[in-house]
Amino acid sequence: MNPASQLIPLFVVIPLSGAFLIALMGKKLKWLPDFTGTFLTLVLFILSLVAIKPTDLYHTLVYSVGAWKPPIGISLVQDGLTVLMLVVVNLVVFCIALYSINYMERFTSKWKFYTLFFLMLAGMNGVIVTGDLFNLYVFLEIASVASFALVAFGTERHELEAAFKYAVMSSVGSLFVLLGIAMLYGYTGTLNMADMSVVLVHKGEGKLIAMISVFFIMGFGLKAALVPFHSWLPDAHPSAPAPISAMLSGVLIKALGVYTLCRIFFNVIGITPAILSVFMFMGALSMVVGVFLAIGQWDMKRLLAYHSISQIGYVILGIGLGTPLGILGGLFHLFNHSVFKSLLFLNSGAVEYSTGTRDLQEMGGLSQKMPVTSGTSLIASMSIAGVPPFNGFWSKLLIIIAAVQAGRYGYAFWAVLASILTLASFMKVMKYAFYGSLREKWASVIEVPVFMKLAMVILAFFCVAGGLLLVPSVQGVFLQQAQAVLVEGLQYGSRALGVIGSG
Amino acid sequence: MNFNLALFKVDHLSNFVGIFIVFFSLLIIFYSLGFMNQKKRLVQYYSYVILTLLASLGAVFSNHLILFTVFWGFLGLLLYLLIGFGERNRTSYTGKKAFIIIGGTDALMILGLALVWKLSGSFEMDKVSIALNSKLAIAAYLCLAAGALAKAGAMPFHTWVPDMAEDAPVPVTSLLPASLDKLLGIYFLARITLDMFQMSALMNTVLMFLGSFTIMAGVMMALVQHDLKKLLGYHAVSQVGYMILGIGTGNPVGIAGGLFHMLNNAIYKSCLFLSGGSVEKVAGTTDLNKLGGLVRAMPMTFLSFLIASLAISGVPPFNGFASKWMIYQGIIETAKSGGWLWIVWLVAAMFGSALTLASFMKLIHTVFLGQPSQEVKSQGDKIHEAGLPMLIPTVVLAGLCVVFGVFARELPLKIFIIPSLKQAVAFFGIWNASLSTVLIVIGILAGCLIYFLGLAAKSRRTDSFVGGEDLKDFPDMRLSGTEFYSTIEELGILKYIYRLAERKAFDIYEVGAKIVFGFNQWLRYLHHGVLPTYLAWCLLGMGILFYILLIR
Repeated sequence: MNPASQLIPLFVVIPLSGAFLIALMGKKLKWLPDFTGTFLTLVLFILSLVAIKPTDLYHTLVYSVGAWKPPIGISLVQDGLTVLMLVVVNLVVFCIALYSINYMERFTSKWKFYTLFFLMLAGMNGVIVTGDLFNLYVFLEIASVASFALVAFGTERHELEAAFKYAVMSSVGSLFVLLGIAMLYGYTGTLNMADMSVVLVHKGEGKLIAMISVFFIMGFGLKAALVPFHSWLPDAHPSAPAPISAMLSGVLIKALGVYTLCRIFFNVIGITPAILSVFMFMGALSMVVGVFLAIGQWDMKRLLAYHSISQIGYVILGIGLGTPLGILGGLFHLFNHSVFKSLLFLNSGAVEYSTGTRDLQEMGGLSQKMPVTSGTSLIASMSIAGVPPFNGFWSKLLIIIAAVQAGRYGYAFWAVLASILTLASFMKVMKYAFYGSLREKWASVIEVPVFMKLAMVILAFFCVAGGLLLVPSVQGVFLQQAQAVLVEGLQYGSRALGVIGSG
Repeated sequence: MNFNLALFKVDHLSNFVGIFIVFFSLLIIFYSLGFMNQKKRLVQYYSYVILTLLASLGAVFSNHLILFTVFWGFLGLLLYLLIGFGERNRTSYTGKKAFIIIGGTDALMILGLALVWKLSGSFEMDKVSIALNSKLAIAAYLCLAAGALAKAGAMPFHTWVPDMAEDAPVPVTSLLPASLDKLLGIYFLARITLDMFQMSALMNTVLMFLGSFTIMAGVMMALVQHDLKKLLGYHAVSQVGYMILGIGTGNPVGIAGGLFHMLNNAIYKSCLFLSGGSVEKVAGTTDLNKLGGLVRAMPMTFLSFLIASLAISGVPPFNGFASKWMIYQGIIETAKSGGWLWIVWLVAAMFGSALTLASFMKLIHTVFLGQPSQEVKSQGDKIHEAGLPMLIPTVVLAGLCVVFGVFARELPLKIFIIPSLKQAVAFFGIWNASLSTVLIVIGILAGCLIYFLGLAAKSRRTDSFVGGEDLKDFPDMRLSGTEFYSTIEELGILKYIYRLAERKAFDIYEVGAKIVFGFNQWLRYLHHGVLPTYLAWCLLGMGILFYILLIR
């Protein structure tokens, strides 16, 4: 077994042990939650960077849990797509942990927060690294259940209501995922994803597979908040504390929704033109419906939540085009969206922290009092609106060019339209929240504390510099590795099994 | 995608535009030294201005469409940030509107460049040559042209210009919409029209229609304005029409005229805005009702303003006449290909020119001549010529208006415009600028002679009165020029159109907003927060998926 593969389980083990440590001792040692939170997420971020293997396009590592050989034991698989997702998740989570040090002072039990936070992280990392379908379901549920609790963390009336809706709808989604997994298990006789894909190649397509596809699109589509399965998101995401909103919108819907959709349909079941058109259509629909709903909102976090639906639409549209360029654009947009959307949620949290309101109509002129918040917010708004040279421009450019290249002119046009409306709604945010004249009641507002500023500045840096990921040499190291995994499709199975055989 | 291609390219056209970008930026930075002192955030202001200069140069010299779009889009952001330096309450609204229009059309340009790539397989401007014979090619052209027209401020994307002229600081207005954005927008329009696409007769007609319509609508709106800066803003829109008209003619004279007019417009329009800014700085307002009689206090500003006004109205021998003359020639040239539409274009262009003169007569009378208003009187001695940093750029620009008019053939056309075109330009008709200048000067001298010899001074001077009452007791009863053309507001169908314009029925931004919020209301109605409905949607979605993947 390749020694580098020994690192894979750490992505699950570290956050899980962090959660237990904080749950055991966090109540007594007041410094422990903050310290562990920041330190462990930093370690995880560095580990995810270490996992980038620049040389080999199809570099796959497999770790067999408990040394049980697959398909009997559970295996953890790391390839280009895994690495991309790990970097995205752990980068954003590190910034959020940093931000939480100051922000979560407002709430009473910090240690409970961090425990749930780490559980959710363990679930997300687990979903990403696992090579076993049932195991994926378990991690999916760990992350989801932790997120239900975090949405309800404020325990106000509307927060509990949102968490309840979220729990019900998310469970419905999980149920269909479980049903799909069970049927797939019955059909193929294995749960290991690599093994399953090899078996499916031999057994061929059938009505059963089509039915399972529907279950998976519904279940994972619900986690990814694609229209028409999106309706839980605008309630759940704004209700959570700001760092958690950032985590839910920034990474959770991608790890649990987009990543799983990609992995299962491209690498396990096998993508068909019909499913690609379903992806494209749902992507475009989410893109447009999300942005039309967002533009009329006055609650800043709710506006951002609707934009998450819209931006996930871009990602799915790009990937659904099925061409290498489209997949590259989609994955790049996934990276960019996690960076700028978490930054925007952190900004809204900073405004709420200083002024106590989320209503755009009550704000105004805050840029005079909160220069760091308004500056980073401008950068993030420009990124999400696709204004050059920020990162969102480049990924939207790739998606639009790819759509035109594939001859999908209609989808390209909808992408442009959604982009214009995105710009319009973020101009609204900037105008009402940060520019204009300062209201008298905000005369004594001050900028947020240092760790919150630091977290926002780090994310803003990635918004500005994100375009550099497209520079050919950097692209080959990071994005193309992930793109290659999706482009090769079903060869994933034999490749992952091949690594096991040789190891 | 391969990015290692010919990223930048210098040719005559980009060279010429580049030189003037630097020229205008430097003049306006110099002007800002006077205008922006005592303002806040100066470091940010100057760095944005310098970034604007660099990004404009980058856009003009880039040969790669993606690189071009990056610079171009970044300029939109800089415009937004620069508008933010305005001090009125409405500034944040204006900035938002301007950036939504500019940024929105930039997004269309992305679609356009993707289509260009699909059609020609290249992102390099000098390698692209597309015939406008398919729907895709027309869509590509229109998408790119939308970006160019919005930047230049032509209809139907013009509405940000007058708003911005009113609310943004004057140096910003004269830097971006008055000079740099015009240069860039028309530069890009010329680039796509002349180099990247082979124009069809239909598309030329569309351009000429847009141009004529912009001229007339812009100038009609300008006639009835009550604010100095907003009035100038509508003229900034109206003048773009001439350039589009010139380029739309598709023959060398017309195109050369359009490009020349782009340059001339940048010169006199910056001059007008900058003199307007001096008035604002000194008198503290740009409301026409509160201005008047400034000629004694500010003679140099008055002179520059006068020259620039005559230039914009196309009065010989100033530069505006030279370029408009070439555009008329271009229009007449199109008559050779038959049809009667050229008469419409020609009438629109000439009539627009006359109306421009009319509205500037009103402006000059109201601001500089006539009786001083109460506000001006009350400030008394405080009103004097603006400082040197503000005066010098104004005078330099006014001087250029004269030089480029009198020596049109010898200087600007020969050095900048003609080399930019790939064809030779054939003039026809007789126009000898130097000779006519001499004649005009003689005429003016003769007039002065007659005046001073007292031949015309048989009039009686007295204080003005109304109904027998001496107006000294009623200081507000004075003859301001503000209401000169208010009668046309009441004319039949025009009255109706002006009312609609007041309600912003022609503002693409407001109309778009109405449509978007209509959809928004409908979608919000569907999202009422009842869990069973949401679950029903999920089931419905699944049902549709079953139908698509299993049954069909």
